[in-house]
Amino acid sequence: MITLTLVEQPAVPLEAEVVRPDVVAGLSAEAIRALPVFLGRRQRRLDDFFRVEGDGGDEIEVRGDAGRVKWIGRGMTRGRIVVRGNAGMHLGAHMAGGAIEVLGDASDWVGAEMSGGLIRVQGSVGGQAGAAYRGSASGMRDGTILIGGSAGLEVGMRMKRGTIVVAGRVRDFAGLQMKGGTLVLGGGAELRTGAWMLRGTIISLHPIPLLPTFAYACRYVPTFVRLYARHLQALGFGLPADEADGAYRRYTGDSSVPGRGEILVWSPRGD
Amino acid sequence: MNTLRITGGTVYDPANGIDGIVRDVCIADGQIVADVEAGRTINASGLIVFPGGVDVHTHVAGGALNFARGLVPELHRAARTFQHGAMPPAGGRAGAAGSLRRAGLGGVTPTTFATGYLYAGMGWTTVNEAAVPILTAKHTHEELHDTPIVDKSCLLLMANNEIVLDLLEAGEVERAQQVVGWLMWAAKVYGIKAVNPGGVAAWKWGRNARALHEPVEGYRRLTPAQIIAGLAGIVDQLDLPHPLHLHCNNLGIPGNVATTVETMQVLEGRRAHLAHLQFHAYDGEGWDSMRSGAVAVAEAFKAHPQLTADAGAVLFGDAVTITADGPWQHLLYQLTGRKWGNLDVENETGCGIVPYVYKDRSVVNAVQWAVGLELLLLVDDPWRIFLTTDHPNGGCFWRYPEIVQLLMDVEARRAQIRKLPPAAQQRIMLGDLDREYTLSEIAIITSAGPARALGLPQKGHLGVGADADVTIYPAKPDRDGCLFSYPRYVIKGGAIVVEEGDVVAVSDGREFVVRPVYDDGIEDYIRPLFEQVYTMSFENYPVEIGRLRRPALMTLAAKRR
Amino acid sequence: MGGKITCTLGEVKNRADVIVYWGGNPAECHPRHFTKYTLTQKGKFVPEGRKGRTMVLVDIRETPSAKAADIVLQIRPGADFEMATSLRALIKGHRVDREAAEQTGLTLEQLQEFAGRLKGARFGVIFFGMGLSMTRGKHMNSGAILTLAAELNAFTKFVCMPMRGHGNVTGADVVLRWTTGYPFGVNLSRGFPRFNPGEFSTVDLLVRGDTDAALVLGADPGATMPEPAIEHLARIPTIVLDPKVTHTSHLARVHITTAATGISAPGTVYRMDEIPLPLRPALASPYPTDEEVIRRIRQAVTAQPAWVPAPQRA
Repeated sequence: MITLTLVEQPAVPLEAEVVRPDVVAGLSAEAIRALPVFLGRRQRRLDDFFRVEGDGGDEIEVRGDAGRVKWIGRGMTRGRIVVRGNAGMHLGAHMAGGAIEVLGDASDWVGAEMSGGLIRVQGSVGGQAGAAYRGSASGMRDGTILIGGSAGLEVGMRMKRGTIVVAGRVRDFAGLQMKGGTLVLGGGAELRTGAWMLRGTIISLHPIPLLPTFAYACRYVPTFVRLYARHLQALGFGLPADEADGAYRRYTGDSSVPGRGEILVWSPRGD
Repeated sequence: MNTLRITGGTVYDPANGIDGIVRDVCIADGQIVADVEAGRTINASGLIVFPGGVDVHTHVAGGALNFARGLVPELHRAARTFQHGAMPPAGGRAGAAGSLRRAGLGGVTPTTFATGYLYAGMGWTTVNEAAVPILTAKHTHEELHDTPIVDKSCLLLMANNEIVLDLLEAGEVERAQQVVGWLMWAAKVYGIKAVNPGGVAAWKWGRNARALHEPVEGYRRLTPAQIIAGLAGIVDQLDLPHPLHLHCNNLGIPGNVATTVETMQVLEGRRAHLAHLQFHAYDGEGWDSMRSGAVAVAEAFKAHPQLTADAGAVLFGDAVTITADGPWQHLLYQLTGRKWGNLDVENETGCGIVPYVYKDRSVVNAVQWAVGLELLLLVDDPWRIFLTTDHPNGGCFWRYPEIVQLLMDVEARRAQIRKLPPAAQQRIMLGDLDREYTLSEIAIITSAGPARALGLPQKGHLGVGADADVTIYPAKPDRDGCLFSYPRYVIKGGAIVVEEGDVVAVSDGREFVVRPVYDDGIEDYIRPLFEQVYTMSFENYPVEIGRLRRPALMTLAAKRR
Repeated sequence: MGGKITCTLGEVKNRADVIVYWGGNPAECHPRHFTKYTLTQKGKFVPEGRKGRTMVLVDIRETPSAKAADIVLQIRPGADFEMATSLRALIKGHRVDREAAEQTGLTLEQLQEFAGRLKGARFGVIFFGMGLSMTRGKHMNSGAILTLAAELNAFTKFVCMPMRGHGNVTGADVVLRWTTGYPFGVNLSRGFPRFNPGEFSTVDLLVRGDTDAALVLGADPGATMPEPAIEHLARIPTIVLDPKVTHTSHLARVHITTAATGISAPGTVYRMDEIPLPLRPALASPYPTDEEVIRRIRQAVTAQPAWVPAPQRA
């Protein structure tokens, strides 16, 4: 395992896409220290900012407040990264495999356009988790993003497949233009959830405001939710699925597109 | 000084009858000369020497292309990048002392600096921007100003200019000619372009012009055929070096072979250049039955010897369709659900943009891919049909070497055909064609032919007096198997600009501009019409010559009647 | 995804019979818009002028522009996205929830009538302003109008256009696009252009403190930006080029007075419909032009050692 301890806070954001198992695996500590990172317009060495210990393997541990270190885990296909602290923008963007865990907070664009693997952030994230970069037809194509805290705007924007679970609250436009996959909102949402969605499922454990282009369909516990709940249980997230406790109000939309997406809003028994 | 000798190369100069002869090429002061004494020598033994490439039809500058740039940030992210930086002076030699290479992006809609580097990097040295509206011509010239190395010309959109159409409807051809002359000089351009005659005017009401002999929307009598014949006649009377450059009606529609053949008949022996002929050579009754119509189009084309054409070939992969054929783009948007841009220009024209991907598993795209190659192979005379992809409509210009390879290698063609869906294989005849282009023929369709069609006598050849635009290719394919992808050297105006695939010096190309003959008094006719229809001051309409970087002016004399 | 369906202003003048101003106040912010381009002009195909046109004003309050309107739709603040999305459904004949739709402040009937009017236009246009593009939803509000206009083309000829701010913002957009591929928020620090609004857009960079120097030309962020952005500008070395001493100048290290473009300095301005217009200076100025100043700064900086880092082999 390689340990990278942040010893110098960058004055401006640091772009460190080299911090991923695909790059460091098989490299000596000396070689890893010399890897290029970018501070604004200057190219620097990884060890200008991090103390590097251990040898290249499939596991990387980042220690310190790396909230200004961008692109950790970019495009990784294997191995594991643990950030004991915060992480900067684009964490795990374009990721295809492996796992990333952040004990603190992450920033915008977590898992953007990822196609596989697992990202777990214990704290909160910014906007555009699992989303498409501007102009791209699709966001995440597969994989799993789990967020313990809250999230910002446009979570899961144009996601095509995969799973995003946010335990806390999300801001506007969660599931914007969704094409597929599942987005679970554990802590409520602000406005315009599921705006312009084409397909896919949004599950909200709390009532949320809905656009005029969503129509109420029925109230039940869909079979797939029961299966899904077991899957999420294994990942540490509880999803209500017992008819004894309540049911989901199903809304279909967005009729403006028109889309065949659904928003399932948990409605406890007695509601 | 500024002399250069290229020695020992195998020279292809078809305009001067030189077909693979080992001989020296000498350069002094930016031109080909018979001999030089001192100066640098490039040892080109074992290498191929070609005149620099001439692209007769491309979209690289101006409002429409810039609109497209804004629509595709995702394609920019995937594009080749050009880093800002100083280039070291070429190996201690006299000449460019550390030019600056500007940052940019390649891809489907390259930024302006990158456009120059990409063309030059491929060995192309002259580029014809095929579609300019007068109203935004200043913008086009500003972008060409920022396109380094290559020489440029541009064509002015005219076939949907309502002031001109009104005159053609009234039968006032003479006056229409004066107006066209004035407009050309106002825009500072090289030639005249007609796109979907009548159709773009109709699109301003959401319609199209599909039938050549039916009146255009908003007109009582005027038909697309009359616009075509009228403009072709005007271009001839103005004695422009390049004939009317025509994008026929019904682009892209299955069965449009009929329109294309009819258009050739309408032209009645007049000169014209048919743009991106591939998009106009489809048989069939609808998308389900769409198939190649290349045989019929090639036959008709051969029977009309006064016409030239460019292929507009399709390559599988990313493209952006940018065309003044607004109705077609709305259709494409509705069919594919892709992004759509549209910009109508008052009185003059419009453009529609749809980013697109040609897929080899799509039957329609497979037929399109085959048709471009079929036309290039069926038309025997390489002096009449030229290599283009209607960049960026059919594919990126920097992929021209792939087409060269397909034309020269029948096995490579057949290998690609075998990968196509069986349904597509039945709708094309490309597999039947054995022909392999020779290097001399390639030199014609990429350089000598377009230069002649454009009426640029100093381009496209290596005879004494020609501009010293020379490309030196390796004799065997490099890296990806394409012979022409990585020239060893590219010389532009006598200066070595590319060496071993890298841009080593940056120069400013010239812009060719034609000043036609017209009666100054026609301005009094135009001004009140302009003030009625436009929304700016008449004084601001013409382009100031100072806006062009290194204009090369051709002043025409009145044609003897 | 929709797209951008637009035209030059002469097309509006000559053809438009339904003109919508949404989230803007042209009477005060674009004072010659009605008379030059949209309402009172006799167009080639609208020879009856004002009588042949219907103007609809969509805004959160009645502004002086309402006097010129035939119909005023007063919408609740922050409901533009909901209204535009509802219209996208209504024009297609799809269901819209009455209760949710009426939270826009308009009745379902008003929305249906408006949808019908848009579809029934011979040539319709929506001009959308900062009341829409700068309020909650931001680029998605603009996106909603753009998509609505694109979809209306299935029924009739329809275009839309943003009402741009002052200072040749359109020109900056156009030039940045041809040189870098992107319209704003362009990052060149890795040697080639990159774009990501929210990461590289000015206000975000300043609020987060992601820059260590700033050069401000033709703008006054010290007057318009959020407090954290202003504080950061004051902290870092900031240089201002402006004909006037601005709010930003007061917190900058250096202010250089330059000649006013269009009055004393020549150039080209791009109108909101991207038509280039030449600027011919009318008065002389004792001050250098912006261009002159930037060139001299650049010359001085390139003379410094190690100015341009060696090109990075990506």
